[in-house]
Amino acid sequence: MSWESWIVSTLSRTLAYGTPLLLATLGEIYAERSGVLNLGVEGMMIVGALTGFAVTSGTGNPWLGILLAAVIAGGFSLIHAFASITLRANQVVSGLALTMLGLGLSGVVGRAYEGRPLLHALDEISIPWLEKIPVLGSGIFQDQSPLVYVAIALAVLLWVILFKTRIGISIRAVGEDPATADSMGINVARVRYLCVVVGGMLAGVAGAYLSVAYRPSWTDGMTAGMGWIVIALTIFAFWNPLLGLFGAYFFAALFHLSYRLQAWLPPELLKAMPYILAIVVLIVVSRGTLQKRMGAPSALTLPYTREEG
Amino acid sequence: MKRRYLATLALVFVMAGAAFATYEPGSNMTVGFIFVGPIGDYGWTYAQNEGRLAVEALPWADTVYVESVAEGQEGPVIDDLIATYGCDVVFTTSFGFMDGTVDAAARHPEVIFGHASGFKRLPNLMTYMGDFYQVYYLNGIVAGALTETDKVAYVGAFPIPEVKRHLNAYAMGVKAANPDAEVHVRWIYAWFDPAAAAEATEALIAEGCDVFAFTEDSPTVVQIAAENELLSFGHYGSQMYQFAPDYVVSGQAIDWGSIYVDFLQKVYAGEYTAENIQNVDYWWLMTQGAVYPEAAPGVVLNPLYIDALKAYMVEDPVYGTISAYDLHNLRYAQFADPGVTFDPFQGPIYDRNGNLVVPEGMWLSVDSLITLEWAFENVVGPWPGEPE
Repeated sequence: MSWESWIVSTLSRTLAYGTPLLLATLGEIYAERSGVLNLGVEGMMIVGALTGFAVTSGTGNPWLGILLAAVIAGGFSLIHAFASITLRANQVVSGLALTMLGLGLSGVVGRAYEGRPLLHALDEISIPWLEKIPVLGSGIFQDQSPLVYVAIALAVLLWVILFKTRIGISIRAVGEDPATADSMGINVARVRYLCVVVGGMLAGVAGAYLSVAYRPSWTDGMTAGMGWIVIALTIFAFWNPLLGLFGAYFFAALFHLSYRLQAWLPPELLKAMPYILAIVVLIVVSRGTLQKRMGAPSALTLPYTREEG
Repeated sequence: MKRRYLATLALVFVMAGAAFATYEPGSNMTVGFIFVGPIGDYGWTYAQNEGRLAVEALPWADTVYVESVAEGQEGPVIDDLIATYGCDVVFTTSFGFMDGTVDAAARHPEVIFGHASGFKRLPNLMTYMGDFYQVYYLNGIVAGALTETDKVAYVGAFPIPEVKRHLNAYAMGVKAANPDAEVHVRWIYAWFDPAAAAEATEALIAEGCDVFAFTEDSPTVVQIAAENELLSFGHYGSQMYQFAPDYVVSGQAIDWGSIYVDFLQKVYAGEYTAENIQNVDYWWLMTQGAVYPEAAPGVVLNPLYIDALKAYMVEDPVYGTISAYDLHNLRYAQFADPGVTFDPFQGPIYDRNGNLVVPEGMWLSVDSLITLEWAFENVVGPWPGEPE
């Protein structure tokens, strides 16, 4: 097998499998940057997957399916936002409840769609001139879902917003020290609500990508734990959208390679490899000093109450 | 006070008696099913549910079921089914439910249990299986004939004897039609994992494979292969055909209903009870009509490929020069014949390390088939648990 075809196929599959990871990670980065830990990513992704499939099935328009998936998943995340911001409940519990609710609800509502083929899946595209670039061109610019490029563009855009604009400063301030942000006139609750909903919407798009583009169909539980990987990737990315891009693709590359390399390495080891690496990274990153320096939002998981008087 | 106490005690005894009542032959029965996945998986559990519907159609049987029970969690679910619905018979439909079923059978000696694909039995616990290996052999003949790269692929779930047996039968069929072809394997360590199946299929496509068979409970491999205009065999056949009507050539299909109805009829007649099924082990194959190759309902081979199969000639030691199409149908007839005259696992067979695993003139017994670990000569790729 020539090295060129190895590179091409690895690049191609990395982009394909990494896109839902990237989209959901971007959303979770924003939520956590504002100080709200959202463990409901898995639930929101699968709600988005079902919505995307159902709407595309019914209307024949995959973009409409993706849009509505974002809306519905965003609305779904409002539950978590309400519980953790307004009611100041324990964010871990609220997020997990959202995951379970999402998985269960989508399983029940999705029964009518199980096993149906999707006739109007999101078609793949090739970028006209860029695909002619030797090796890299066929890997990156040929026969990919348009959402791959949307995700990359979003990663850049969201990085710019987070680090180069006033809105981004507000978000980060709210996540680091909400009391000070509040005294500066930033509406802490509103910023947090916005970020959680944006996180939910992006997770919904990630889920819709799975059911409308990556493997066009619906099955109960089809996200198969991807949401948990996203939560780890958020930390892996040090809450930075551009690093999130690298993290998502790194994990996706490992996931794909674990099947290519089975011919040479024990399959059991390869299957565990991406997850072992995720754990190793998490251990390294969560040692206190590293966490402080690398920018975990200091107010993460802490509800904010405005002190009166 | 004392009278109420006695009345309650009497009620408890009556209820306990009712709970422990064994099934009366000739009366209506309630049959419970524990499924390991969702009915809509269009794979194993879908086929199991079709079997349940065949039972439901019997006038003297009612069914209840629970879906998506994780392996290891079946104990409380079984207890709940029995307590709530008074099940007379309970079928647990996955290999991983084995120990939980054994424990439940001990807890409920009056209930009849059946465990699919297992091997542990008790006086009230039987085992049953419809095995695909003959069907995979037929699929293999077709795969060997239709491959253009001489690389045929198999996406395997777990490297356990059941999957290895199917893989080897497939590989033997491939060799019968095409001695130059290789069978490339990848393992995904799950019965249901669409993303893993997708990536494994992509990996095999990158290796150059062009015909795909698999053990995974979703149409993912079919879809990914079809996206690349490559052929595949539907696992639990006909339901997967609709995902790629131009690329599903054939597949494996099963009629669990035939086994369920046969067994339950014997329970109804009083022949099988909760005390005498220790040695009941259904090992049903094509002869009994429990399994069969199928591309779509009622269609064995996809018509788009019949001409290619007729044009492809095979050199067979017994039948001489024969088309792949004719060889396929010949073997089909031999498998379906009650006096089965051909088995893929008849010697001499060499594994890929050169060991003679089945001597000339002998066939593999059922016990050997269900504990098989070796890989056939033309298999390429990882094979955990391979004997030296």
